[in-house]
Amino acid sequence: MNQTLSSLFVSFCLIGIGAYGGGLVTVPLIQHEVAEKHDWLSQQEMGKIVAIAQMTPGPIAINAATFVGYRVAGIAGAVVATTAVVLPSITILFILSHIVRRVRSSESLARFRTGMHTGVLSLLLFAVWSYGRGVVSGAPELGIAVAAFLTLVVFDRRIHPLIVIVAAGLVGLVIF
Amino acid sequence: MCTGAQRISLASLFWTFFRIGLLTFGGGVAMAAVMRYELVLKRRWLGEDDFVSAMATATAVPGVIAVNLAFLQGQRFRGLPGAGAAVLGTICPSFFVILLIVWSALPHFDHPTVAVFLKGCAVAVSGQIAFATYTFARRVRRNWRTGLACAVGLTVVLLGLHPIWAVVAAAGLSYFLQEPNGPSDSNGSGESQGSTLRSRGQTTSETQEGDA
Repeated sequence: MNQTLSSLFVSFCLIGIGAYGGGLVTVPLIQHEVAEKHDWLSQQEMGKIVAIAQMTPGPIAINAATFVGYRVAGIAGAVVATTAVVLPSITILFILSHIVRRVRSSESLARFRTGMHTGVLSLLLFAVWSYGRGVVSGAPELGIAVAAFLTLVVFDRRIHPLIVIVAAGLVGLVIF
Repeated sequence: MCTGAQRISLASLFWTFFRIGLLTFGGGVAMAAVMRYELVLKRRWLGEDDFVSAMATATAVPGVIAVNLAFLQGQRFRGLPGAGAAVLGTICPSFFVILLIVWSALPHFDHPTVAVFLKGCAVAVSGQIAFATYTFARRVRRNWRTGLACAVGLTVVLLGLHPIWAVVAAAGLSYFLQEPNGPSDSNGSGESQGSTLRSRGQTTSETQEGDA
């Protein structure tokens, strides 16, 4: 049990460190830690959890941490995983705030940002493949995924992603 | 700006960020609009410039942006206890909503109707990830440098290494490959101003981005 809690802690600390930019960027990290490195969840369960995290209030990383933590080790697991996912960033902020009063938009920060954006882009490209491979298992699934993507592109910022996800769920009810 | 001298109670810090946590879906930069509304427009804890600056710090470090912002604001107003109250406030809605779902709905996840509904949702999320990638790719400066850095990052992760190494490798390479005088499209004069504007523009575009 303690073994499980400490691996949950380490895994979600790593997810917290890698989640630069938050949101969907955390998905490939969660997937790696939860479904590949540890055998806590299957790819299908992982897909469901991400979908639920998207449909419920709050940041995905926190929702997923609470969910996975609970599945793996009950309430204690939920508390440990949720704490672990925020601990790295607030520790960094705490240290930073004692070194610099205020991060200004300096040239090196702009460089750092461009660098991190590139890093995050490579992670997202990977996520399309690794997450997609887990949930898209046939032609109907591919159709829904492509339709969701195109809807989001066409109605860029005019449609809430939540609507697209729920609509896809309803389509799933009809065709699966 | 009416900040600084203002004394904000721990309870009010907690509730403000509780609302932010409760009212946002998906997280990431999608939360920025709600946070701006709650902190700048409604409560006037922050001026517009302070908000942009706080967002710059919150997005410059890894982790959940809302939590980072909560920490910074809590610490600013009430030191470490304030930071604790604000961070707890942000986390609590997610934590309890998920526990509620786990307790009430998890037993039904395998019910055929629920299962196919969730399957459809999960499949749509892959389209959403593709969309996030697409908007991100449009924002990143596209040239051979970022292309190379991205390819190296992808190679790292496809080799089976931890995804964090992909970010480190691609980000590091991209950082060092950038031209020493800053990105190619900013001309020599007024460079620092240019970069300030650029990062503001970034924050704005991130605010509207939906869900990357």
